Amino acid sequence: MLEIEGLTKIYPGGAVGIEDVSIAIPPDHPFAILGTSGAGKTTLLQCLGRFLEPTSGTIRLDGKDIRDIPREEFRRGLGIVFQALNLFPHLSTVANMTLSPTIVYGESPGTARKRAHEMLERLGIAELAESYPSQISGGQAQRVAIGRALLLEPEYLLLDEPTSALDKDTTRSLAELLGGLKTKTTFVFVTHDLPFARMLAESAVLMKGGRVVARGSVEDVEKSWGGVTRLRSSNGC
Amino acid sequence: MRQHARLLPLLAFLLAAIAGASRAQDAAEPFRVALTGKYPPMSFYDGEGELTGYDVDVSREIARRLDRPVEFVATEWASILAGLQAGRYDAIIGSMAITPERSEAVLFSAPYYVSGAQLFVRENDAAVYSSLADLEGRAIGAVTGTTYQRTVETEYPGIEVRTYQGEPDIFQDMTSGRIDGFVTDKFVGLYNAKRAGESFVPAGPLLYDERIAIPVTKSSGELLKGIDAALADMETDGTLDELKRKWFGAAATSAAGSAPVRLTNGLVARVMLRGFGRTLLAAGIAIVAGFLLAIPFGVALKSAPAPLRAALQFVNDFVRGTPLLVQLLFVYAGAPQLGILLGLSPDALRLTPMNAGVLTLTVNAAAFMAEVVRSGLLAVHPGQTTGALALGLSRIQAFRHVVWPQAFRVMIPPLMNSVVALLKDTALLSVISVAEVITEAQKLVSITFQPMKFYFIAAVLYFVVAWPLMKASQRLERRIRKRGYEESA
Repeated sequence: MLEIEGLTKIYPGGAVGIEDVSIAIPPDHPFAILGTSGAGKTTLLQCLGRFLEPTSGTIRLDGKDIRDIPREEFRRGLGIVFQALNLFPHLSTVANMTLSPTIVYGESPGTARKRAHEMLERLGIAELAESYPSQISGGQAQRVAIGRALLLEPEYLLLDEPTSALDKDTTRSLAELLGGLKTKTTFVFVTHDLPFARMLAESAVLMKGGRVVARGSVEDVEKSWGGVTRLRSSNGC
Repeated sequence: MRQHARLLPLLAFLLAAIAGASRAQDAAEPFRVALTGKYPPMSFYDGEGELTGYDVDVSREIARRLDRPVEFVATEWASILAGLQAGRYDAIIGSMAITPERSEAVLFSAPYYVSGAQLFVRENDAAVYSSLADLEGRAIGAVTGTTYQRTVETEYPGIEVRTYQGEPDIFQDMTSGRIDGFVTDKFVGLYNAKRAGESFVPAGPLLYDERIAIPVTKSSGELLKGIDAALADMETDGTLDELKRKWFGAAATSAAGSAPVRLTNGLVARVMLRGFGRTLLAAGIAIVAGFLLAIPFGVALKSAPAPLRAALQFVNDFVRGTPLLVQLLFVYAGAPQLGILLGLSPDALRLTPMNAGVLTLTVNAAAFMAEVVRSGLLAVHPGQTTGALALGLSRIQAFRHVVWPQAFRVMIPPLMNSVVALLKDTALLSVISVAEVITEAQKLVSITFQPMKFYFIAAVLYFVVAWPLMKASQRLERRIRKRGYEESA
């Protein structure tokens, strides 16, 4: 269980990132954190990834304050795929995926490579194993980044705006892929893309101005917000 | 406690042994004598590469009488007094004339020969220029920092005085007509002109007498007494006269030894390669040590807290914004003085020329390479670190496996440029008398009077090493630009 409780982040200078955000994300269903840009999603994500220290409030993973969890253990509890993906351009697809398992978690290179190849198979991009990030498309890079994160078998995987660089067709095929993927990892989509969230997530929260303004099923949240069009257009997409 | 009691006598014995050893060392402490080695017939290198000349013989005689082994320090004339003050040697036996200014800074022995300043001109100009007054509006040459330079400058303001490192350089410009005369010691000028096979002749009478003596520091009164006693001895037993005949007699007549020295190619090759070996050694150490220092330095320049970063950036700017030549002289001559200021013994921070040179080059290399490291790191997107941390890597692992490999690739071409620049910069070590390739070339020039030949050989040696590096750097740069990562990984 991932529990965010009364989380507030006020930046030096007084800008409010998020205010009193409380969300409980059970490990059984995909979850969506919805909101336009400026809603506080990025701040929340930074706090969840331990890249930002919240001003107050706590984040607990399976009852433990994430600040008290050792680094290696924490990163296997809560993975993040950033919007920019951050693939390592000097490493091939497989090397991108096996870097952490081998150097952080002490897995043998052989086993790690084998698991990476299996993962690429499941993601439908087996042929990209030896390609470099500069040689693959945006949609393929998205899958490599997700595969790289999934190889650590995190309890939760936060996906930051996973569809922002994708066109309609690639978005749909990514949704189908993630929907059909057999994995113990719980996906958390942090996105403004309501149709995408609707395809994958069961429950959701809607954020606005740094606060949670609605929670429930994706449909409920959608209703209370006033529909897809406004959400999408307000984001300029 | 009992153990301590047993240890005490042992400790006392050891201390006594060390004290005894150091006293024994005092007795055999070498008499360190500075000269230029580029001033025939006073001090120069013979065909075998050994120091010889009148000053060298006088030094040996004095050392023998002081009952100390002699140790020669060949150094540049321009900084020879600074080196004495810094304690790099005990005395200068390098044909230094007594002047009031110098007498304020050092103690002079009794003169060991008297010579005079003489104007020399080309033989076929002798009818036109019979004294310095005839050279108004023309240019003449003198060795930098000599009394000759100062005298002509103050007494003949209408004459342009060009200054040179040594006589071979002056002869070069005499032959090419850039200067019409030069002032030097009468004996030295006669000897050298003959040896170089040049037809330079004395013009007019001596400008003035010069009493040539041995300076020591003001705190070396005891040593001065010993030197003066030795000189008096040499005067009375005829040693000084004998040496004068040996060296100056040859200058006045065309006796043997006055022809230009012919060196075998084997000797030239050995001397030049030995010098270039030191060049490569100095450059190699400075490059490796400089780069190792540049990594943490560059990281700090990029990501240290603001005040520390500003301080480091200032240090870096200072090193890069001041001439390497000045830094070399500062470290070489200044370090012992710094030691004194810090309350250490003068020997504490006295560096050998090679150590001073390598230290300065290393700091210089570190400063330039740190900038390269910093900009290389800046070229890596910060998201790369975030991405690595999100995958569980520690900050160090993220740096080592993700940031550094990408940054280093960007750094290679500018690093190669630094390496080439540094290799060439080692030439400056010659000013602090490191026996690298330029210094060795200067020695060869001073006995053969063939500057073109030996400086050309030196240039070729540098180029032979620098060129492949430059080519490799260009190729690498093209490859990185064209192909990115996939081909070279």
